[in-house]
Amino acid sequence: MVMRRTETHGVPLTTETMFPESSDALDRVSDYAIETHRLTKRFSSFTAVDHIDLSVRKGEIYGFLGPNGAGKTTAIRMFCTLLTPSSGSAKVAGYDIAHEADEVRKRIGLVSEKLIMYPRLTAFENLMFFGSLYEIDQNSLRKRTHELLDMVQLTPFKDRVVGGYSSGMRQRLNVIRALLHDPEIIFLDEPTTALDPQSTRFVRDLVKELKEMGHTIVLTTHIMEEADELSDRISIIDHGKIIATERPQELKNKYKSDNLLEVFLTLTGRELRDSASDRIPMRRVMGRM
Amino acid sequence: MPSELRTFSIALKIARRDLLDLWRAKMLLFSFLLMPLLLMAMFGYMFPTTPKANLAVGNMPTAYPNIPVALVQMDRGSLANAVANQFVDIAQAQQLFRVSEVTSYQTARDSIIWGTISGIVVIPDGFTAAISAGMQATVQVTVDETNPQIAAVVESEIATVFGVISSSISTTTMTNMMGNSINPSFLLEPVSITQVPLISGPSTTFQFLAPGFMALTVVFGALSGVGFAISREREQGTMDGLLVSPITRRAVIFGKVLSQTVRGLIQAFLILGLSMLIFGVRIYGSPFLMVLTMLLGVASFVGVGIILTAFAPEQETAQMIVILLQFPMMFLSGIIFPVTSLPGWMQWIGKAMPLYYAADALRKIVILNAGLNVIGMDLMILIAYALITLTAAVPVFEKAMTR
Repeated sequence: MVMRRTETHGVPLTTETMFPESSDALDRVSDYAIETHRLTKRFSSFTAVDHIDLSVRKGEIYGFLGPNGAGKTTAIRMFCTLLTPSSGSAKVAGYDIAHEADEVRKRIGLVSEKLIMYPRLTAFENLMFFGSLYEIDQNSLRKRTHELLDMVQLTPFKDRVVGGYSSGMRQRLNVIRALLHDPEIIFLDEPTTALDPQSTRFVRDLVKELKEMGHTIVLTTHIMEEADELSDRISIIDHGKIIATERPQELKNKYKSDNLLEVFLTLTGRELRDSASDRIPMRRVMGRM
Repeated sequence: MPSELRTFSIALKIARRDLLDLWRAKMLLFSFLLMPLLLMAMFGYMFPTTPKANLAVGNMPTAYPNIPVALVQMDRGSLANAVANQFVDIAQAQQLFRVSEVTSYQTARDSIIWGTISGIVVIPDGFTAAISAGMQATVQVTVDETNPQIAAVVESEIATVFGVISSSISTTTMTNMMGNSINPSFLLEPVSITQVPLISGPSTTFQFLAPGFMALTVVFGALSGVGFAISREREQGTMDGLLVSPITRRAVIFGKVLSQTVRGLIQAFLILGLSMLIFGVRIYGSPFLMVLTMLLGVASFVGVGIILTAFAPEQETAQMIVILLQFPMMFLSGIIFPVTSLPGWMQWIGKAMPLYYAADALRKIVILNAGLNVIGMDLMILIAYALITLTAAVPVFEKAMTR
């Protein structure tokens, strides 16, 4: 049996003690946390994800970048078993997303751009509720909830309803909700959007710490500086296809720029997405009233 | 933990959370409790208690007391005076009308237009002369036709009062003509009817409506509640938190159904409790069968609610879809209005809706103390609906959530 012991701010955890693996666990040993084969998702005539082949290594931070509507969120929702692929396949944590969804769900944590919290419940009630959906005994869950709240410095506010939280507090809470069951793979969908610099720093440091503890992290962000700082490797997706996968420094070397934003714009183009073809200069619009 | 037990335990947790959410939303909770009270009070007073009239003992109960009417007496003869006085006396004694005497028909008509009175009784010239000559005399009646319900009441009550007055004139005339040799009421009305009530004790119209409203409340709650709850959770993102965890989709549905059932039952028992306290509704049947019928009513509808709203992109659309179904159901299920006046195809739509059977069974239990042998068919139909719709709802829900 493959054991992976982690310690999150003094919280000892083993995935295996929570979800004892089946005898075929050894067969599933792979260097990759996520592997896809021609994974595709179509919505009517629109192809959001178009035959992508990607692999995310265990323990790495995988930056998944792309313009709006490129297919990032659709792909992540497929990895999280929230969407069924139209064709192709994917394995997450060694399990097929279409046929072994429950096994996948036990091993992943999702921090989506929307806050997954009930606004009328307190932080503690929310965490206890979501934690109780995993097979964790009540005492361990309670202990872990307290420790995670401590970790993100929210213990003094644990009995306040989440609706009254600031966006920084909410996002810290959103992150620890995804960690309650100590998932192997954590999906972070734009985790620092609309956060103040302090909260942004806090979340980024948390992501680094999670990687140090052996978690695999898939990160989507529009903040190139964040992707550059955190990612071990970056994939850029556009029009549903992966157009580049490299280490951030290699990407910058290849496109002869020290700025990841420039590399991104070179690869995906400078035009606005979903807009008219001609740009009207601002001078023509402003200052005429 | 065995998978079915775990599904049930997760469903309980989801239901508990939903109810805690309702408890925390004080304004929502207030409206939630107020809604059945308003519904019950409105319908309770709209369909008030009206025991049957007993003209023999001069008893003419009314649901709409002291309606203002004008009396225009154009004939000043002695018999006209006597009839006018008798009309005013009966109207006041039975609290049917508040009668004001007006000099001309035109003035009285203007009062109807101004909305100060609801009817006019005119005793025309020649009234005394006609009766004195042994001929039929006529009284003219005009009602405010802009309010059809009150117009019908005024018309029928005026007719009843003049029926009593006519009888007394006939009785006096016949007694004068024939002495006591024959009973005048035999000549006037050789056959009379007397009603034997279906249920003993004083009955009210609301007694018959309350069970239907209970069914309506529970079923509407189930239909809209589950759909709204699902679409709201999708919109706010919390549905992802549920679906990304290793729980069955059945647990999510069952949890939502449980919380909506508790909510529906709370509202239904509020309606029942207040109907009993304020409108004197009595339960003649088994409370166990009542709860069972309501639970089956809920079960028969949640599946429909889930199927209809699972594909709605947002809560507003889900609401519109549910309202689209609620309206015909309310009017075609025979709860407020009888369906017999509707065209055949409309009656079939009403009978195709499980609410029809839930209301029918509940009415029979509450009013007639009906047992399983009587309401068995209703319950079987509800069970069939529940099985079919819930079996379809689980895969539809799963498909809609991951499409």
